[in-house]
Amino acid sequence: MRRVVVGSSVASAIATLLALEGIASSDPYRLRIDAIGYTQAPQSPVGLVVLQGDDKANQWVDAEALTWMGNSSFNGNADVLTALVRLHDPRNYGELRLGRQILTVGALRPLHLDGADARLRAPTGTSFEAFGGVPVQPQFGYHAWDWATGARAAQSIGRDTSLGFSYLQQRSDGQLAYDEAGFDFASSPVPVFDLAAHGVYDLIDPGLAEAGISVAGRFGELRPEIYATQRSPSRLIPATSLFSALGDTPAEVVGTAVKWRMFPRLDLLPTLAVRDTAGDVGLDATVKATLRLDDRGGGALSVEGRRQGSGPDRWSGARVAVRVPVAARVGCSTELELVAPDDPRGRGSLWPWGLVAIRWVPVEHWEVAAAMEAASTPTATREVNGLARIGWSWGAR
Amino acid sequence: MKRASLLLLFAVLLGACAQILGIKPPESRPFPHRVHVTKGAVTCVQCHVGIMNATDADGMHMPDTAKCVSCHAKPHDSRECSGCHGLQYVREGVEQDLDHLKFSHATHDKRLKGNCAYCHRGVTEDSDHVRPPMGICLSCHEHQDDFAEARTCDRCHKDLRGEEVRPESHVAHDGDWLREHGNRAYSARDLCSTCHTDRYCAGCHGITVPALPETMAFDDPLRAGVHRAGYVSRHSLEARTQPGLCTTCHDTGGFCGSCHQRMGVDVSSGGASPHPPGWLSVSGGRNDHGPAAWRDPSVCASCHSGAGEQLCVSCHRVGGVGGNPHPAGWSSKLRPTIDQPCRLCHQGAP
Repeated sequence: MRRVVVGSSVASAIATLLALEGIASSDPYRLRIDAIGYTQAPQSPVGLVVLQGDDKANQWVDAEALTWMGNSSFNGNADVLTALVRLHDPRNYGELRLGRQILTVGALRPLHLDGADARLRAPTGTSFEAFGGVPVQPQFGYHAWDWATGARAAQSIGRDTSLGFSYLQQRSDGQLAYDEAGFDFASSPVPVFDLAAHGVYDLIDPGLAEAGISVAGRFGELRPEIYATQRSPSRLIPATSLFSALGDTPAEVVGTAVKWRMFPRLDLLPTLAVRDTAGDVGLDATVKATLRLDDRGGGALSVEGRRQGSGPDRWSGARVAVRVPVAARVGCSTELELVAPDDPRGRGSLWPWGLVAIRWVPVEHWEVAAAMEAASTPTATREVNGLARIGWSWGAR
Repeated sequence: MKRASLLLLFAVLLGACAQILGIKPPESRPFPHRVHVTKGAVTCVQCHVGIMNATDADGMHMPDTAKCVSCHAKPHDSRECSGCHGLQYVREGVEQDLDHLKFSHATHDKRLKGNCAYCHRGVTEDSDHVRPPMGICLSCHEHQDDFAEARTCDRCHKDLRGEEVRPESHVAHDGDWLREHGNRAYSARDLCSTCHTDRYCAGCHGITVPALPETMAFDDPLRAGVHRAGYVSRHSLEARTQPGLCTTCHDTGGFCGSCHQRMGVDVSSGGASPHPPGWLSVSGGRNDHGPAAWRDPSVCASCHSGAGEQLCVSCHRVGGVGGNPHPAGWSSKLRPTIDQPCRLCHQGAP
């Protein structure tokens, strides 16, 4: 049955491609179609056709869509991820978005919603946004009274600072699932300095659901960042879940990341974080080096070491990735990873994973890629997977 | 002595690697602009004929071989000069600029009066990177005012989303951007959406995403991604390290369960239990499920939602083996006998 689904998906994609090749003839539209297949990822054959496109034909209307069909491991056989029309005045003082969309409203969690989002912006820097609709459910798992609504009011202070307050109420089957208020703040008072902070307060089980602050600087080839986050898992799950009754055990992280362009083609990214998970304090660290093999970065080599020394499951890992353009239209890449858990618990003491891929652009607009992936995982001593993708794009480089 | 030897070794290694690190110019031949301008006293417009009157509707104004041999009367090779002199990607960059930018040399020359090097600073450094980076534009143009006014970059860019290029000098996604991007985006959706469409966000944050962008682009191992490489192997380790993080994208209504069933790591479908020994005991033995659930209840909810919740309240109720599940000081504005999930236990309570 799966083969039939995958086969029909690929056939549909080819037919669609041939049809679109004929109609694609003017500039504001962009289309891309990818057909992709994995022999077992994860653990079942997968074939997908992903179609995406957008247009900006007029100053006051944009439209975009992203759909897929085929056989996915988790989500059935087809869905629309976005199908959205955006109406706005040319100076963007007012905007109305209708359809299936991803809403990122201030500090509120990103919402996948069928509905409407309206925004107004005044020349004084004040803006107001309101939204409402039905949260998207996988495999049409909707209830009769599923809805979400909320708003955000924000004020820009000068050119470089903004402060916003947001509110969300979401119901599932008529029951209160989320009721939360958030704030977001960003400032860049001088060119070398950025600050961003946010917080979300749970109004059902009163307390901080999530908060974060990040301070970054830019000093020539050096970009240091210091950050801190707090996350309360019991408040991040819907209040309709029994597990929300277990109470608040926040996880906190304080860390730093430094991007250093050590040489014109060599970047270093060391990170260090202290995590406190329910009183269990540990240290996480990574070091990543990326070497561009040419000025444009077409070829590159990346080496990464990682130590996860916090939490109940600690582990160490290393990863190497290489991307090499071997000819004008052909590129090869490989990626290797080794993970060593501190406590294997009978799942194998080393989990290697590797992938070798080749990419070919036979003619303009078309792209073909194939790969072989092999791994030894906690659940399978040996696992081999083949991957293939064919893509066609029009309107974008 | 040993230190001197080490320093010498380091210097030799650095010298040997100078080209690959980008310290030494590559072997290809960037066009020697500086020599032409300083030693040859060749003005820009002698080669780039007509450039001072060019608008964004004009062509590239690059010199051809005929123009070169008008001075270099005896070329050392009969092939096209541009086959070796000048880097291909520089020409491609100029073509892209013509396609994507609203720019007029004619307008700029009225102010700069032939001082091409004011913007093309690479000319004076004998570099082939003569295209001005956007930072040069910003040294005169107050683009932040333009953006603040209209929330678009359309004053200079014809179609920024269509360019599909990353900015080098501003809004650079440096550092550990994957972790950082949310915090930066909360206040700056307008800025993000000048380049990124909704479908870009939906590629990861959509509820029914069938394959993440890094999975689709398996041939680009340097592309950042939240579930890169052998993530399936290590997902349980990472999930337990960062409580609640999975919930920010994945629904708790069966995302994990569907895969565990396929994998046979699911008791309800007759497979193995994902829980280690000592997970549950009603007779005074190890009871690891308790601390794990306190630490991250969202992990429990990802498999035991719906009917699975009844499993918990069969023990965790007043008078039951597990006792009252609420911690001290717990409060909620839900109505105990009406709202879910309170009524699982509280229905019928006085």
